[in-house]
Amino acid sequence: MKIEVKKNIMATNSSVAGGNRQRLAEHGVCMLNLMASPGAGKTSVIMKAIEGTRSRLKLAVIEGDIASEIDSLAIEAMDIPAIQINTGGSCHLTAAMVSAALDHLDLDSLDLIIIENVGNLVCPAEFDLGESKRMVIASVAEGHDKPYKYPMIFREVDAILVNKIDLLAYCDFDLVQFRQVVQGLNPAAPVMELSCRDSYGTDEWCQWLEATAMGSRLDLTS
Amino acid sequence: MHEYAITESILEIIQTEATRAGAIHVDEVTVVIGELTSFADDSIRFYFNELARGTMAEGASLKFQKLEARATCNSCGADFRPRNAFFSCPECRSAVFELRQGQELFIESIDVSQAEPTDIREN
Repeated sequence: MKIEVKKNIMATNSSVAGGNRQRLAEHGVCMLNLMASPGAGKTSVIMKAIEGTRSRLKLAVIEGDIASEIDSLAIEAMDIPAIQINTGGSCHLTAAMVSAALDHLDLDSLDLIIIENVGNLVCPAEFDLGESKRMVIASVAEGHDKPYKYPMIFREVDAILVNKIDLLAYCDFDLVQFRQVVQGLNPAAPVMELSCRDSYGTDEWCQWLEATAMGSRLDLTS
Repeated sequence: MHEYAITESILEIIQTEATRAGAIHVDEVTVVIGELTSFADDSIRFYFNELARGTMAEGASLKFQKLEARATCNSCGADFRPRNAFFSCPECRSAVFELRQGQELFIESIDVSQAEPTDIREN
């Protein structure tokens, strides 16, 4: 016997993600889903954001890794709440994992939650976590061809950050070509340049983050 | 690797649907995948064969239907199929478009076996 099913396989994740979004809206909290390949500098970029915005924004961080607590310990050392999710082999975070992490945070005391997704440019883009905004980091050391190889993630984010910009002199990274390519893929997303080593671009990154967090609050509370 | 989570969801949905229909076994599952998703059907098949063991879907055959991508150009309104990574409108070369189809992932249908009707005249 044939049964018409017509059911979205991602429906369970989407429904939990919707629940997360609703919960954050009730508490007026913005959530940023930060994605990048391993080693692009996600944790360093988050630490720069903490340094630059902590006097104005109340932050928490959700760290997604296959294993270890290295990243959440680094964030906690800055006296910022950090929840570590170990996916145990899974290459991305799911909405249910984030929902469980939110249980451990005092949402009333927060403006912004930054999620550091598992290092990967493919899978995380497919899973809605209930975030307000999505962002991808590309680093100079990875080469300017990343958007050609992983176009979907560059298409679907709200902002793009080029990290390790201090390495431009030592790598064959063509910044003009990179900007042209991502502009074609995603004309609305701002492309910001950053160096976590010498703090170049930190102001622009922190201003974007603050505007995003506050804008999202206005959206949520209006 | 993210196909593992997807395959778990597939098994959950088909068992729920089959049980609701009073079936005892799932024989075939038809899954529709948009051509712009990053889900690999070989990988789903691999996980399915492992995860379905010992369930009512053990041994079920998996069929995949690819759904082609369709987009509407924001500049000139042309309808086209964005086929490669660098989609641009074949009419006006604009890269800005609304993707209407191509990112789907759903279960279209299942084929199930039902229990043979018990003949109460026996015994």
